[in-house]
Amino acid sequence: MIEVRNLVKKYGEVTAVRGISFDAKPGQVTGFLGPNGAGKTTTMRMLTGFMPPTSGKATVAGYDVFEQSMEVRKRVGYLPESVPLYRDMTARNYLMYMGEIRGLKNVRAKADDVLERVGLTRRAQSRIRTLSKGMRQRVGLAQALLHDPQVLILDEPTIGLDPIQVLEIRDVVRQLGRDHTLLFSTHILSEAEQVCDNLVIINQGQIVAEGSPAQLRAELERGGRVLVRAEGPVEQMIAAVSAIPTVAHAEAAVEGVVVTPRDANVDPRPEIAQVVVQNGWRLVELRPLAVNLEEIFLELTRQVAPAAEEASERADADGGEGGDEAGEGAREDGAREDGAREDGAREDGAREDGAREREDEEAKS
Amino acid sequence: MILRQIWAVYKRELGLYFRSPIAYAVAFALLLLFGLIFSSNVSQLNNRAPADNLNFIPSLLTFLMFLVGPLMTMRLLAEENREGTIELLMTLPMSETAFIVGKFFAVWTYYSVVLGLTLVYYLVLTTIGVPDHGRALGVYLGAWLYGGTVLAVTMIWSAITEDQIVAAFLGAATVLVLYLADLAAQFVNNLSFTENPEFITGLANGIRELGLTAHYNSTMFVGVIRAEDIAYFIFMIIAALFITTRIVETRRWRA
Ligand SMILES: Nc1ncnc2c1ncn2[C@@H]1O[C@H](COP(=O)(O)OP(=O)(O)OP(=O)(O)O)[C@@H](O)[C@H]1O
Ligand SMILES: [Mg+2]
Repeated sequence: MIEVRNLVKKYGEVTAVRGISFDAKPGQVTGFLGPNGAGKTTTMRMLTGFMPPTSGKATVAGYDVFEQSMEVRKRVGYLPESVPLYRDMTARNYLMYMGEIRGLKNVRAKADDVLERVGLTRRAQSRIRTLSKGMRQRVGLAQALLHDPQVLILDEPTIGLDPIQVLEIRDVVRQLGRDHTLLFSTHILSEAEQVCDNLVIINQGQIVAEGSPAQLRAELERGGRVLVRAEGPVEQMIAAVSAIPTVAHAEAAVEGVVVTPRDANVDPRPEIAQVVVQNGWRLVELRPLAVNLEEIFLELTRQVAPAAEEASERADADGGEGGDEAGEGAREDGAREDGAREDGAREDGAREDGAREREDEEAKS
Repeated sequence: MILRQIWAVYKRELGLYFRSPIAYAVAFALLLLFGLIFSSNVSQLNNRAPADNLNFIPSLLTFLMFLVGPLMTMRLLAEENREGTIELLMTLPMSETAFIVGKFFAVWTYYSVVLGLTLVYYLVLTTIGVPDHGRALGVYLGAWLYGGTVLAVTMIWSAITEDQIVAAFLGAATVLVLYLADLAAQFVNNLSFTENPEFITGLANGIRELGLTAHYNSTMFVGVIRAEDIAYFIFMIIAALFITTRIVETRRWRA
């Protein structure tokens, strides 16, 4: 169990972590997701007792990270971001050394045991210097598992690995998550989505979203757009759908027509179905357009502009929406809560011409 | 628990010295130098007392410690700082003190081995004549404590920087200052023409007492073993280790 409350860390002038609060529960993998410099490593260093918080409180396995640091350290396995190892030791000797410092008994047996768990038994006698990056990562992981800790804190365990090893490590993380409290950081959203039961998204030292991947998606999907695929003339279809009172906007996209409702809580799908059928077009598909978590992530973690600037940017973005030009700049400027939606719409818009041609062909045939 | 940790750190660190080519090179160079001096002295034995020859070697070693000491300690913490291994160590349930003490005893052991090897010359001397055993005890005990003090002091710099060369330079400079404190004291003493002679002599004595040579060259080196000299060395070692511990701690807090 990890409980973080209003944790703050300042490095001199720089505030790396600005009062974050979250929980990581036992038997779950909690993903700590954020771009470079978000404050992930800083937070983890405070949780492992490497450095004290400037203010705020955190408990790990029931002990305060500052007041009862030694108790915390006994119960935490930590894999630092840089995976610092003694390169002139063999993997086994290194693990035995760490075990001795931790005051474990039977260090030899424990070292061999964790080496087996990370699949390095054959390289037990190799000097760490001669191991590949992925193998070193695993030695670091083995070190974190050595004392069978309740809590595991892994700082970007998959960085710099080849795709196969990434999958392997993710698998290991998922398994470990079943019987540990596991906090792991990454800046890869898809990884977090695959591995984590719970996601904490952090940007510039602040938490911007929290919840299970499904929850996050559901929350951000609400009031989302609807995709209509029907066999019929696109122009007319857009006109007909736009005329529905609950619809704010409709436009062509690759897959079909994307409809934005006027009110997020009023589902326009029944009316759309009716209109399509009334016009004699054959309805192929009518579904809510999944919000890409990637888009949400990009939106949430984009540079937070000062309030005044943000307002004017929002106005700009709104103005740009009518004309179909989707420049990179406009995309960046999307206001936060409806930005994801707009992004999608603009991307779709960019492909509009191609889509129209294809659909025209389809209509002719 | 803490003893086990000190022992674990000590064992690893000592192992490194005995596997490191540089450690062998330093020991070899020193012993070669001493051997040359020794043989040239022995060849002139007919008109010199054996005891004088013997004492030349530990005294040269203590002098050279301003160079050799930093070379022995520069790696100890600077490397851990640079490699980041300290981050992991400082998240283990181990106090900084255990870590520093373990490292210090390892390097002091290495030094003791080098010092012990110079006893070979002493043994050779006993076959030629009868050296003054009492004086030799003082000389060697002093050289041992003197070395420990130099190592503890130079280790401070290794904790401060990640750069071994910088650590070695600053360490050498610090030891030279401690070595030359005697000269500084004399210089201060010569200022006693000013209006406050007591203060000046007091200051000069203070500076002298802080220095290394006052507690070795004029006491243990001539076979006078005084408790206050032993206390000085032990105090210096403890103080230096304490400072090193604090530095490791604050470095981590700033990290
Ligand atoms: N030792 C330090 N001294 C001063 N500032 C630091 C220090 N370490 C980190 N910072 C600053 O704190 C902020 C957060 O850094 P942190 O390393 O926690 O980010 P991160 O989320 O781990 O990023 P990454 O994904 O790149 O690892 C950054 O602005 C960084 O410049
Ligand atoms: Mg980081």
